[in-house]
Amino acid sequence: MAEEAAQIADREMIERIGRGDQSAFGALYDRLSRPLYSLALRMLGDAGDAQDALQDVFLQIWSRAATYNPEQSTVFSWTVLLTRSRVIDRLRARKRRLRIVDSATGDEDADVADASTMESAADTADKNDEAARVRSVLNNLPSEQREAIELAFFGHLTHHEIAARLGEPLGTIKARIRRGLLKLRERLRT
Amino acid sequence: MISEEQQDQAALHVLGLLSAAEAAAFESALSASAELRDFVRELREAAADVALSAPSQAPPASLKQRIMRGITTETLAPVSLQRASFGWVPWAIAAGLIVFCGVLALDRARLERELTDARAADPLMQTAFFTLAPSAPAPADAKATVAWEPGRQSGVIRISNLPAPQPGRDYQLWAVDAAHKDPISAGVIRVDKNGIAQIRFKPVEKVEHVKAFAISLEREGGVPKKEGPILLVGSA
Repeated sequence: MAEEAAQIADREMIERIGRGDQSAFGALYDRLSRPLYSLALRMLGDAGDAQDALQDVFLQIWSRAATYNPEQSTVFSWTVLLTRSRVIDRLRARKRRLRIVDSATGDEDADVADASTMESAADTADKNDEAARVRSVLNNLPSEQREAIELAFFGHLTHHEIAARLGEPLGTIKARIRRGLLKLRERLRT
Repeated sequence: MISEEQQDQAALHVLGLLSAAEAAAFESALSASAELRDFVRELREAAADVALSAPSQAPPASLKQRIMRGITTETLAPVSLQRASFGWVPWAIAAGLIVFCGVLALDRARLERELTDARAADPLMQTAFFTLAPSAPAPADAKATVAWEPGRQSGVIRISNLPAPQPGRDYQLWAVDAAHKDPISAGVIRVDKNGIAQIRFKPVEKVEHVKAFAISLEREGGVPKKEGPILLVGSA
């Protein structure tokens, strides 16, 4: 019930943002910036990059609020997908930069020791009930399903890359992702 | 009834894993089936919730101010248009000027956004390359290349043919900046047993106009101000 009320409040904020209401925008930022920043930080591993990505996301929310379609997703899901999309753009740009350096130095296969990505994101205590519940549900998924979902969601690996990394057939990986998401959906609904 | 194959496609779709062709075909199937759309929506919500499992971390307070400033710039033009509704000529002229300034500001914000997007899409737009050549006592075949991104204040260096230093010594990277009297430390560089290193670095201070990068031989752990001999140096 509280979740439904929050979704309604989010939709109202988005409608007001679509009409140019800056106070609604500030309120939505206060509500969503922490989980979206945490996602960006987990994927990028660098605080500066994560902040830049979050700025891009919120500027997109500001300019695209009027196009938000509540029939397709909740506001939270919409903003998570926007964040993932912007972060993936940055990860691709990062890969391209490294390839440029490799080609400039004639070593296409070299690995880069990336101090920023080796730093683990600060793991602060989380009091958020919803986050704790999602973690609990994820942790209770069969480990191979959780692994496939996390590699796809946070690691930005394609199902082909996951299959190669885990040494499993492609069909197996697809099935793990599907079953894992379905279980997640069922358990989060209860 | 949604087939297992469609369920697989739906799961990959919400995670953005389908190829462009697969995504187009799936979108077509989606538009034809309300049941499939409902299924995708539910999977999308489940997938989005995975984000909540990331370690929770708040962004710095300054970020909100930065973002609010960004949207204020974009809002200038509509506000000015409202003011232009007065009918008096002097007011109309003033309002016209305001609108003009607002449009300019809006245009500038748009251009800045496009430039940011273009930079994100094309790393070459924001990367400067430096080739570092050896000077005695470095081996003649030692070399290094630096890719430097001023906007990010970070870069990547690749070194080859530079043997590991003797115990108690380290190689240190420096940025030579026109605005600073002394070179700025960009950290200690450690090469592997083959004399190779490929490392991402970030100078300890802001580098305004980098003229060159250099590697020196310093005391173990590095020094705040360059003391030892320069082994490799190069400008853009």
